[in-house]
Amino acid sequence: MSDRVRSALTTVIARYTIEVVLVTLVIVLLLTSSDFGSSQNLDGVLRQSAFVGIGAAGMTLLIISGAFDLSVAPMLALCGILAGHLVGDVGLILAIIAALIFGGLLGTLNGVIVTRLRVPAFVATLGMQYVYLAVALAWTNGAVVVITNTSFLALGAGDALGIPTPFLFMIGTYAVCWYLLWRTRYGRQVRALGSNERASRVAGIPINRVKVATFALVGVCVGLAGVLLAALVSSADSTVATGYELNVIAAVVVGGTSLNGGRGTLVGSFTGAIFFTLVSNALDLYGIGSYWQYVATGLVLITALGVEGLRRRFWLQPA
Amino acid sequence: MSTASASLRRPGRLSPRRLLDAMQSLGLLAVLVVVFIGVSIAEPRFFSSDSIKAILINSSMLAVCGFGMTLAIALRGIDLSVGSVQALAAVVAAKLSSTGTPLALAIAAALLAGVIAGALNGVVISQLRVPAFVATLGMMSIARGVALIYSNGGSFLVSDSSFTDISRDSIAGVPLPFVITLLALLAAWTLFNHTPFGRHIAAAGGNEDAAVASGIRLAPLVIIVFAIVGLTAAMAGVLLTAQVAYIDGTVGVGFELNVIAVVVLGGTSLAGGRGNLLGTLLAAILIASITGALNILGVATLYQYLAVGLLLILALALQSLRDRLAGRSSADGGE
Repeated sequence: MSDRVRSALTTVIARYTIEVVLVTLVIVLLLTSSDFGSSQNLDGVLRQSAFVGIGAAGMTLLIISGAFDLSVAPMLALCGILAGHLVGDVGLILAIIAALIFGGLLGTLNGVIVTRLRVPAFVATLGMQYVYLAVALAWTNGAVVVITNTSFLALGAGDALGIPTPFLFMIGTYAVCWYLLWRTRYGRQVRALGSNERASRVAGIPINRVKVATFALVGVCVGLAGVLLAALVSSADSTVATGYELNVIAAVVVGGTSLNGGRGTLVGSFTGAIFFTLVSNALDLYGIGSYWQYVATGLVLITALGVEGLRRRFWLQPA
Repeated sequence: MSTASASLRRPGRLSPRRLLDAMQSLGLLAVLVVVFIGVSIAEPRFFSSDSIKAILINSSMLAVCGFGMTLAIALRGIDLSVGSVQALAAVVAAKLSSTGTPLALAIAAALLAGVIAGALNGVVISQLRVPAFVATLGMMSIARGVALIYSNGGSFLVSDSSFTDISRDSIAGVPLPFVITLLALLAAWTLFNHTPFGRHIAAAGGNEDAAVASGIRLAPLVIIVFAIVGLTAAMAGVLLTAQVAYIDGTVGVGFELNVIAVVVLGGTSLAGGRGNLLGTLLAAILIASITGALNILGVATLYQYLAVGLLLILALALQSLRDRLAGRSSADGGE
């Protein structure tokens, strides 16, 4: 009996490592910090998680397909800048739609460079990171776009149904991406492509189309994150999200998605994004200086994957 | 048809691989010459010895760290932590020097910090089996934090003139940082092309399983290569300190992507197995020349980003076209 319980427990921990760690951390924080459970603090954690979280949703599909995108930071900035410029003239809804379409187009451009010019995704999106940054700087002249439209700002700072609006958007994004990945032909093709590109080609999967679509999906997600971030800080500028690409990839990887492609989990990325915010929130609550947060974030990342490596080596054989 | 026989023949000096490397270097050299002639016609001051010296000095940091990165990429790894390690080394050197530590000791401590950070990367990658991308992403955060903690968020002014002279002195008219770069190139080139250790790097980067099966011990290889990357990042940190003399924990942000861009532009494939150190040097000089040219022409910084980005994509698109024309499968150049 206890053996069965133990093996069941082992399976759960192996399969849902990051979720178990997150729940444990939440319980520890609830027990040790009186401020953690306050609705204001929880509101802040969920709101902060949304920006990396929404980008990580699209990035999860892209990493499963066997690529990734390093250009998302200036892409996010560009979408925020566009929304900021438009919202005064065309209204809230059209500004958001325009930003999402713009993000999708930028992502499509990345996909086209990868598939048509046959540049590896790493280098193509590294190059486009510089290009998009240049475009953003040229567009804004290096200045900050100030946003005053109150209904737009409510997207970032407001609540709906008692939940921070950005977090609601995050849940919606994950629902859509989950449906795409697990319930559509496109999702099957993404997973097949990441497992074995050559076999997928032989099986007649339109590889280039799937790749471009996935880059475009990342662009749309990043566009949404850009709109919400611009709404939260009531401004947009070229360097607002410097380092965003690595935070997003870190959230995806900690969640359990393999950088080798083929397998991944959206629930993990969702949890991973919250987890990183929670770690820095915990350090804040314990009064640990912000410089130590860099150290803690790095250690968390290495430990999360290191434990996996050690477990595979010494404890369990890979499933 | 001819590729099969070509890959069977392995004449010592002019293997197809080396020919491709040489072509890449020649291509970079051609672009460099075009940039120089074009800009010099538009602005004769560009062809002055001062301007050329400045370009060589500015290329040094990218090139030195690029040599380490070339080895890591040849091993099919990558190091995202070099910007933070550069900052850590710069802070160590600047803090020690500004509190009266002798120059040699301050530099030695900075280099040691880099080697330790790099070796830790290697241990995490080889012992904990964390992918290099993630392990060094973690170290990027850790080293940045340690640099900020060690500097206590403050900044240091290096007043020791023998330190800042490193970036001002010349040997036979060649700026000292560039002399250091050439020595580093010689060392890395000898190590990579003329020692069993270097051959093991290429072998393990090309086909890890085959390398292990043929008796290469992976762990020490990975640890030493990443320690070398850490050392070169720290050298870049020392050069930075000598050049700007005013250092805080936030220097070097984004340096890692510039270094990777230079290595890739130099013709080293991210697929692993080969590295073009001379190409790395030429690409670093090219990037520094473009930056210098745009500065002297009074063009806004943003065009530098545009130029680097487009150059990177163009170069890789040409490489992949060349590889396809040469009849090689495109699948081995994937992500």
